[in-house]
Amino acid sequence: MRADEHLVLHGLAVKKHATAEEVADVIGEEPARVAEVLTANVATGRVVDLNGKFTLQPGARMIVKGEYSRHFAGLRTNDAFETAYERFEKVNDDVKAVITAWQVRELPSGEAVSNDHADPAYDEKIIDRLGAIHERFEPTLKQMCAEVPRLERYAEKLDSALEKAEQGESQWVSDVTIPSYHTVWFELHEDLLCMLGRERVE
Amino acid sequence: MYTRWLSSGDELPDRQLVGGKAWSLARMTSLGLPVPPAFVVTTDGFRHFHETGGVSATLRDEVLAGVARLEEESGRRFGSGPNPLLISVRSGAAISMPGMMDTVLNLGMTDEVEAALAAESGDDAFARDTHHRFLDLFTDVVLNRDPRDHPGDSPAAVRASVNRAVPDVGWDPESQLMASVEAVFRSWNSRRALRYRAHQGIPDDLGTAVTVQAMVFGNLGEDSGTGVLFSRNPLDGTNEVFGEYLRRAQGEDVVSGRVTPQRLSDLEDQDPELHSQLLQAARDLEHANREIQDVEFTVQGGRLFLLQSRTAKLAPEAALQTSIDMVAEGLLTKREALRRLSPGQAQSLVAPRLDANAPAGEPLATGESACAGVGTGTVVDDPDRAVALAAEGKRVVLARPTTSPEDLPGMLAATAVVTDEGGSTSHAAVVSRALGLPCIVGAGRGALADHVGTDVTVDAASGAVYAGTLPVFVPKEDDSPGLRTVIAWAREHSPIDVTPDADGLNDGDLVDLSELSGGSDPERVADLIAGLSGVTAICGGASASPDAVAAAIDAGVRRIVTDPVLPALLAAVQHGPATD
Repeated sequence: MRADEHLVLHGLAVKKHATAEEVADVIGEEPARVAEVLTANVATGRVVDLNGKFTLQPGARMIVKGEYSRHFAGLRTNDAFETAYERFEKVNDDVKAVITAWQVRELPSGEAVSNDHADPAYDEKIIDRLGAIHERFEPTLKQMCAEVPRLERYAEKLDSALEKAEQGESQWVSDVTIPSYHTVWFELHEDLLCMLGRERVE
Repeated sequence: MYTRWLSSGDELPDRQLVGGKAWSLARMTSLGLPVPPAFVVTTDGFRHFHETGGVSATLRDEVLAGVARLEEESGRRFGSGPNPLLISVRSGAAISMPGMMDTVLNLGMTDEVEAALAAESGDDAFARDTHHRFLDLFTDVVLNRDPRDHPGDSPAAVRASVNRAVPDVGWDPESQLMASVEAVFRSWNSRRALRYRAHQGIPDDLGTAVTVQAMVFGNLGEDSGTGVLFSRNPLDGTNEVFGEYLRRAQGEDVVSGRVTPQRLSDLEDQDPELHSQLLQAARDLEHANREIQDVEFTVQGGRLFLLQSRTAKLAPEAALQTSIDMVAEGLLTKREALRRLSPGQAQSLVAPRLDANAPAGEPLATGESACAGVGTGTVVDDPDRAVALAAEGKRVVLARPTTSPEDLPGMLAATAVVTDEGGSTSHAAVVSRALGLPCIVGAGRGALADHVGTDVTVDAASGAVYAGTLPVFVPKEDDSPGLRTVIAWAREHSPIDVTPDADGLNDGDLVDLSELSGGSDPERVADLIAGLSGVTAICGGASASPDAVAAAIDAGVRRIVTDPVLPALLAAVQHGPATD
């Protein structure tokens, strides 16, 4: 598989179910070109087209996975990127803890209940914590972008989601149906895991 | 003067000048309540700092004079033994905003102070731990470096590690304090704070204050301790103080759950006078704030200090009961009482739950509750199959080892989700909470593997999965005297009728939103209602959501048909004026 074709399928692997535009957005490629590659792969049976949303066939997923070591060999031996990735994993724990605090509050009884967002002071504090983590991680993310420029899309989307959340549009913290902070962070994580050939640790 | 002392004799300071945190401390002292001694570097000090470009000699002298008074009031010395004074530094603008510096605790800590504190408390581990916690916070908040990058077996090793990255850190107590004050003032111009103020139209010269306060210790002997209390029972609302106390312990010990605290009666046995002083303080705070209070306190050497008091987070039952009681006591008007209950709380009081009287049997699997609720259906372990079965109108419970984004369509099709692995931060937990989907995580490998294709009931509140379809109990508003009372009040104050049935309406008067495009979508329903004209009554779809209720009132709709009625009634009252 050629590197550019692999990148398109990588984008699809990260997004799971996505339109050509959404995949193009992840990998920073022309939507028309991405659509072309995806359609060609539909013809060979690697990809399924469900009303304009594409998804990888299980077999193709294995093939794409198998090719990472070839196309990202340079990145996998890049010490600076490796160090940055290790920092990402540390910060990932912080992000997950903040998202949990956003969604769950502890009652006086010690019982955890879902946060009903009726307490603006609590919510503001959580968003502030998320912002502090974001700012602290920015230099590392910049280093990653220097090695893999297409990762800048994630940096922009994270900043934009954070800004909207800070302005009170709280769905931008973790809503799964929009590119909220958590959605984008999760995709970035998925992207890094694929490129570096790691497994997600829950 | 750039600093201001907080003491009981004074009238309440200007909130703009001292910031929100110091203002609430001042409010406690003005009620005659004991708080640890504190002073504020005011927003005048902030402006002076930015005009001169740093901590001037004048500002430094005033801060040191404040510290001298903290020493005097506490009987302790900043930076030396035998009774060392440690202090906290907090930022405090009149308006809270993102990007401002967090609190730094235990300032004034050095190797010498650690030794003195160890001798005084008789607890070497505590002194060492306090030292490490100071270094972590100071590194994190003031030096803006990740403390995990600077591990060390001893404080000296941590300092050496930090010094390799930031060579010119002043580790003496005075430098620690000045650096912290400076960090608060500089955080005013952090990128996020600037961006927030620009969006909100908050002037950049409003400024922030710095609160400097003596730390108190609950572990300095048998006549010391720490605790938390609620001015009423936060679970059921009973009007009696509810709290926990731990002798010879620090606040973190109680919060962390490392040790099991005692009932407040332990303090009563030990020091009845201090106990009644504490109860009186809780009552005073509740009266002053007209809300149930959640109070943190510490006893140091037989002396009570209140650290913080805020509105308590109440279980829905307690929110209902205290609203009714506080009206009876004359603390709240009915309208105010109705405004402190949320539609979500009203909803959860009548949310479906497993019938406690029905025998459920042994659970098939148990795990951690990630999102409460009850879901029943056939166990399916394949997300595509879940989608297909749901499309046929079947109820399915999705069981997966873990979930990832490709499982989302299957999760949306399910009535509940159960995963084998992962905890409360796993993907399944995070997503299901966002969707309000009952979910249990970490049920163990292959937890439901043997039950695929069978019907189960997922009680996500308790984290248990039971065989079969169990009876689900749906509480009725009419069965609860408390709900009936509040519903009657809400009807007096609601600008719109809310009824459980359509009695008295003609066929053409009632519009069912579930039949209209967007009528079931909480995001679009308000626009839909605003676009309706000449409609008398609505029902169905998302017609009882707070946005829909507000839109219906504004559009001149006269009646909403929904059951339960209280969530919509509360939303209607809350759309109206705050006071009578």
